[in-house]
Amino acid sequence: MSLLPIQHRDALSKGMVLLFALPALLIPTTVLCYIFWQAMPVLSLSFVFGSADGIGFGVTEGVFPQLVGSLLLAVMACLIAIPFALATALYHRTYATPRQQRWLNTLFTMLQGIPPIVFGLCGLVVLVNLFAWGVSLLSGAVVLAVVVLPLLVLNTLATLERIPLAYSEAGSALGLGKGAIIWRLWLPRCWLQLLTGLLLAMARALSETAPLMFTATVFSGVVWPDSIFSPVTTLQTHIFYLAQEGNDPLVISIAWGSAAVLVLLVASFGLLARLLQKLGAH
Amino acid sequence: MIADIKHEDFPKAESAVPTELVESQLPSLLIVDKLSLTLAGNKILQRVDFSLPKEGVTSVIGPSGAGKSSLLRCLNGLETCWSGTVVVDGKDIRQWRGGWDQLRRYVGLIAQKPVVFNASIRANVCFGIHGWRQRRRADELVEKSLRQAALWNEVKDRLDAPATTLSMGQQQRLCIARAIAIKPKVLLLDEPTASLDPRSKQLIEQSMLQLAKDIPLLCVTHDLEQAQRLKGRTVFMCDGRVIEQADCDQLFKQPQCIETREFLRWSVCDCD
Repeated sequence: MSLLPIQHRDALSKGMVLLFALPALLIPTTVLCYIFWQAMPVLSLSFVFGSADGIGFGVTEGVFPQLVGSLLLAVMACLIAIPFALATALYHRTYATPRQQRWLNTLFTMLQGIPPIVFGLCGLVVLVNLFAWGVSLLSGAVVLAVVVLPLLVLNTLATLERIPLAYSEAGSALGLGKGAIIWRLWLPRCWLQLLTGLLLAMARALSETAPLMFTATVFSGVVWPDSIFSPVTTLQTHIFYLAQEGNDPLVISIAWGSAAVLVLLVASFGLLARLLQKLGAH
Repeated sequence: MIADIKHEDFPKAESAVPTELVESQLPSLLIVDKLSLTLAGNKILQRVDFSLPKEGVTSVIGPSGAGKSSLLRCLNGLETCWSGTVVVDGKDIRQWRGGWDQLRRYVGLIAQKPVVFNASIRANVCFGIHGWRQRRRADELVEKSLRQAALWNEVKDRLDAPATTLSMGQQQRLCIARAIAIKPKVLLLDEPTASLDPRSKQLIEQSMLQLAKDIPLLCVTHDLEQAQRLKGRTVFMCDGRVIEQADCDQLFKQPQCIETREFLRWSVCDCD
């Protein structure tokens, strides 16, 4: 039997929860504030949208080429991954046996935990060297597509699982086949949620750095890619490069500026996803 | 004949249950013979036998868990792991040309809770329509189906409005219109008026009686008064078995089995 009266026990329980919950909230917020504080001296429209000639690596000019490179890679990766993710989730939901469903769940949960650098290494061996695509936009996008595929599959599955069984059965009762149920009932109903999952996957693709260093990016000499077989510069690798030049205060503030731009970009995708989620709920 | 069902000593369901096919005055469109269904080790249906005349309403009554809804799901092909024989229009439904999807166009099903699709009222009615000929005369079909479902007057000015804006009773009538738009030969209704207001219930019953002149209806209901209002034939089910089936008046006034009597009097059935 506890010696404390019930109201004190409640207060103690609340205190314990807050003791661990507050740091979890405060630490990331402090980090974010610190990034923007450090980035303040360089952050301006000319920094974000300023073009570069590829010589100063963004040290003396803006980060617009890097921003576009990051976005291009994320968009291409998601465009490549969408059909595979959608097909896998639809197979899982409509045709797979319960045993296959269990296997697929395990596989994609496991794939999601594999460090992206491993995929980067595979991309280097297979795409860059074997297929001779070189260090290019295409190689990087394919590797990023593999990285975000499990997330997209699991998001799509979660969306499809939220469709009530009665909704599908109402379609079946009208004699609609599985294909018609997918195209005429499921997709029109849940496209907003699927788009939300896609935006979250894009945010994830924007956060990846390691696999791009082997397969897609260069640190200098390139401003805009000529084709999908050209290398690109990205914000992620740009920050990595600048951080290594730690002795120059100007370079470090530009690294903070680039980090702030990247954070804003990822956050905007997250916020858009949340907005779509709300719209979908209505 | 119905008169064959005589059990002077009111036998228990396990013994001489009158489950033999009862011949109707009208030829049967749907014949169910020894239909059994087991789900997750539970016997849901046990050697169910009955037949559905070519027109009129047949009501299925019985306590909760009697297997009434499962019976409809088997007849519509939503459940496929059953044993026995179901013959529709002289053909075994397991050998149905075009498979289960085609069968479901022939044997329509309306669920207990209305499910409208995320589309307009017009699109909902047209959802199951196949083929360019039918699509070409879609407007005509929409009007006809909505009239048959007693909904036309309420929605004729807003056919392009989202179907989700309709009330529950209207949504259920829209589901009926959607089901009859594909011209099924048999219509199964699973408690179509459960949890609806009296006015919607009345409209749906009127619509059902109107429809029953063209196609046979098999309606599961918990509402004994509704079963009496719908007339036609009545099948009493309990514990996955057909206990008794007869014309509505006869079953309600002179039930032959003690289980039926108990159910009609106390709304409980002691078949176990």
